[in-house]
Amino acid sequence: MIQLKGIFKWVNSGGNRVFLLKDINLTIKEGEFISIMGPSGSGKSTLLNVVGMLDDFNEGEYNFIGQPVHQLKEKHRAQLYKSHIGFVFQAYHLIDELTVYENIETPLLYQNVKSSERQAIVADILDRFNIVGKKDLFPAQLSGGQQQLVGVARALVAKPKLILADEPTGNLNTKQGTEIMELFKQLNEEDGVTIIQATHSEKNAAYGSKIINLLDGRVEK
Amino acid sequence: MWGIKEGNMFKNYFTIAWRNMKRHKAYSAINILGLAIGIAACMLILQYVWLELSYENFQEKGDRIYRIQQDRYDSGKLSTQWAAGAYAVGNSFKEAIPEIEDYVKLVQNGRVTVDINHQPVKIEKVFYATVSFFNIFTYPLVAGDKNTALKDPYTVAVSVSTANRIFGTTNIIGKSIEMNRNVSYKVTAVYNDAPVNTQLKPDILLSYATFLSRSRSDQNDPETAWEWDGCLTYVLLQKGAIPKTVERKFLPIVDKFVGADMKKYNSGVTYKLQPLTDIHLYSNYMGEPDTNGDGKTVYLLLGIALFIVVIAWVNYINLATARAMTRAREVGVRKAIGSFRTQLIIQFLSEAAVLNGFALIVALAIVILAIPGFNALSGQSISFALFTQVRFWISLTALFITGVFLSGLYPAFVLSGFKPVEVLKGNIGGTKQSSGLRKSLIVFQFATSLFLLIGTVTVYQQIQYMRKQSLGINIDQTLVVNAPIVGVDSTYLRKMNAFKENLSQYPFVKNATVSTSIPGEPVQWNAGGIKLVGADDSKQKQYRVIGVDYDYLKTYDLKLIAGRDFSKSFGTDNSAVIFNRKGIEQLGFNNPEEALNKRIDFWGAQYTIVGVTENFHQQSLREAYEPLILRLIPDVNGYLSVKTEASQAAKTIELVKAQWNSFFPGNTFEYFFLDDHFNSQYRADQRFGQVFGIFTGLAILVACMGLFGLASFTTLQRSKEIGIRKVLGSSVTNILKLLYREFATLLLIAFVIATPIAWITTSNWLQSYAFRINVHWLYFVIPLILMILIAFITVSFQSIKAAIANPVKSLRSE
Ligand SMILES: Nc1ncnc2c1ncn2[C@@H]1O[C@H](COP(=O)(O)OP(=O)(O)OP(=O)(O)O)[C@@H](O)[C@H]1O
Ligand SMILES: [Mg+2]
Repeated sequence: MIQLKGIFKWVNSGGNRVFLLKDINLTIKEGEFISIMGPSGSGKSTLLNVVGMLDDFNEGEYNFIGQPVHQLKEKHRAQLYKSHIGFVFQAYHLIDELTVYENIETPLLYQNVKSSERQAIVADILDRFNIVGKKDLFPAQLSGGQQQLVGVARALVAKPKLILADEPTGNLNTKQGTEIMELFKQLNEEDGVTIIQATHSEKNAAYGSKIINLLDGRVEK
Repeated sequence: MWGIKEGNMFKNYFTIAWRNMKRHKAYSAINILGLAIGIAACMLILQYVWLELSYENFQEKGDRIYRIQQDRYDSGKLSTQWAAGAYAVGNSFKEAIPEIEDYVKLVQNGRVTVDINHQPVKIEKVFYATVSFFNIFTYPLVAGDKNTALKDPYTVAVSVSTANRIFGTTNIIGKSIEMNRNVSYKVTAVYNDAPVNTQLKPDILLSYATFLSRSRSDQNDPETAWEWDGCLTYVLLQKGAIPKTVERKFLPIVDKFVGADMKKYNSGVTYKLQPLTDIHLYSNYMGEPDTNGDGKTVYLLLGIALFIVVIAWVNYINLATARAMTRAREVGVRKAIGSFRTQLIIQFLSEAAVLNGFALIVALAIVILAIPGFNALSGQSISFALFTQVRFWISLTALFITGVFLSGLYPAFVLSGFKPVEVLKGNIGGTKQSSGLRKSLIVFQFATSLFLLIGTVTVYQQIQYMRKQSLGINIDQTLVVNAPIVGVDSTYLRKMNAFKENLSQYPFVKNATVSTSIPGEPVQWNAGGIKLVGADDSKQKQYRVIGVDYDYLKTYDLKLIAGRDFSKSFGTDNSAVIFNRKGIEQLGFNNPEEALNKRIDFWGAQYTIVGVTENFHQQSLREAYEPLILRLIPDVNGYLSVKTEASQAAKTIELVKAQWNSFFPGNTFEYFFLDDHFNSQYRADQRFGQVFGIFTGLAILVACMGLFGLASFTTLQRSKEIGIRKVLGSSVTNILKLLYREFATLLLIAFVIATPIAWITTSNWLQSYAFRINVHWLYFVIPLILMILIAFITVSFQSIKAAIANPVKSLRSE
């Protein structure tokens, strides 16, 4: 599903090239659950953003479900990730002005899903995440764990093949974190969703089927 | 992407817009109120502008109608400009120029009286008109035949309202109307009243044939008269005729008829075509049939109205981009969960639309509330019928759409341009450039406000100057009665003398005089061909002439600089004249004494100069001094001016009225006080000043609202910096200085930009006043100081709060 070949990413700072990613070679198959670990500043978020096509890279090849991402135009690339990738953020990043229901509904709006269909999908997911009672609340009225639950629900609503989660439990307590991890595991096993998460926690990393260690932008062997 | 499902998207956008608006109440209020004030101001001023621009647009042949305007020259110098020129022009041009399809001559007759129920009633607007009047102009007849009406001498056409006034019906063809209790006319047509937006609003039209039969003599035929002015001539050009081509044909014709005379008298005359629709705003010549508007004023006001709206739009741009920080994360999230940039642009435009929509509603409310006040202020008569006008709604929609796009597009592009990785990390790129734009826009707002303030100060100074300036003629405590028109016959002089004699018995009546003109209006009598006896014909010049009785100089306190007043003790004074200084200068004398006892040729008779007065302001200070001759006409018929004592005004009116009715029965008693009459010349200026001042105030208010909003954001953003500085030991004043420096710099840049523009504009505006103030540096510095104060107070609301706030608090909130 994902093939990274010799990916380099750098920024120029005061005439020096600072490498953020160095020669990343990775192959991730559909249905895998990958955990990325590494010290702070090692490039975990950068890698996730590159994979998620939110950020670009300077050198190398990236194939996503058979499409050469490095050759695609901006517009195409956006189209590609929108229909296949869902994001979960450490800081939840819900839209404050929208209710739980509307937050979850928004990705479907962007994909022009019909109204009746949309209602069914959102109702379904609310049900599945056990947050039907919260659907008319605003993010500020929820606990951190609940917000992240909504964040995951929103990432899933458009039925992506791949979920990218950047420290999804970073702001949560242990119990809340475990819940999210269980959810990921379930999604991975029952729905076959590919998951890549970045995490500092050994325990959370263990949920994954494979752990990749990053150090200074390089994959540790 | 633009499928039917966009509808759902919009619902989402509007939901967000609405919730955002509720959450940021101050921000929304500033935007909505500012926009609403701008839109309302614009709509009100547009009403006025429309009316002014709509003059004559109901005339169906309007695009082919031109007035022939006449310029007269003395010794190669332009001396007088006429709306109503020579009488021979119309028929002479029509005969020789095939492109002229038809022409109409109009001569102002002035008011007449008609008896209704045996009471004299004044009818104001009476013209002589040729038959073609109804062919050229669009005044539909409700009775009569337009081809034969006004054909014969002593026939008239009457407006519907006048017909109703006199007869109570419009079914009056063939009936007769007696005017001034001496001449009867037969009614041949009744026409619909003119709308407001025309220069020609005749109550009664007398046939031009009547005028001819009265003024024609063996030596004198108006149809061939090129020296007498006072005849308005309008021509209807053939379809497709080019005015410039037609104009070029005038010169040879004029040359044929009067070329030889002109050469002899070293004078000249030229003719131009004035498009009918341009007359109201761009014409102010001698003999205009109505007070005209002023194109400059109209466009200046329109400009101010637009300024206010633009300032409000700028507020929106500034506040929206300043607030970008708080919206950036949302943009990042939306992009990460699948939004295209175009969809975000549409979202932000929708927000602009919601805000502008609310502003529109508030603006309508303001318009409704402000109509009475605006009418009082501007002298307009805007009614609620306004809301039934298509153009009102069209321009409202246009303002709305322009507002949404002009103010919404830039913030939409800035906001939608954020990169999700960046903003989700908390970095906001691109704010540097938008803060640069924000600064330029603030400079624009400051500059506009300063420009308007400088304008206001200048306009007020000029009006003050004009009203305070000594006129050189005493118009205080002067009761003026319009000339009698009934019973002006061989007994007139005897009656008038007895009348004045009677008045003078009362101690509070100081003086009384009769004259053909009074101060406060142009002298209607313009006489050409005047020169010193024995001088060459080429020295003939034009002078304004006032016919006066013995008491004119005394009554009006005119200052003699040489010679003497008219006096009954000189038997020869019937051929005496008094010049003003400008007059003797035009004769060629620099020293008034030299002009004394010189004799002049005045239309075949000779007169002796017995005195010279100092120049005085016959009209408002807008007009220059003109060469003037006061000619003694002992039995002159004209205005009666009565000087009285301040405390006795009411008594004087009573007395004069009683005397008037007994001496001049059949005349209406129409009186006014001269200072009011004179000052009414400044009414238009004062209105303009007031409207200008108020709208300037609104513009500044709207700009300040934006400034206030911006200051709130800036101080909010900098509260941490302020906190740190305070902890480091900086004093409150130091911190304030820091905050003010930025705004002060922008204000000074604005001043540098506004000054030259304002200088040029105000100087240009002042050009239309013959007597004017000089543009003074204070008129620029005072607005600057005012603006500094206003801006600083506005900014201070927020920043003082920030500066004195407890630093620990703002640091902890991080
Ligand atoms: N735009 C940029 N310009 C310069 N340096 C950058 C930029 N983006 C990231 N970096 C640097 O790249 C390195 C990797 O950053 P990244 O955010 O990927 O680390 P991370 O592994 O996610 O760390 P953490 O565990 O703290 O989230 C860091 O040293 C960061 O400072
Ligand atoms: Mg990270």
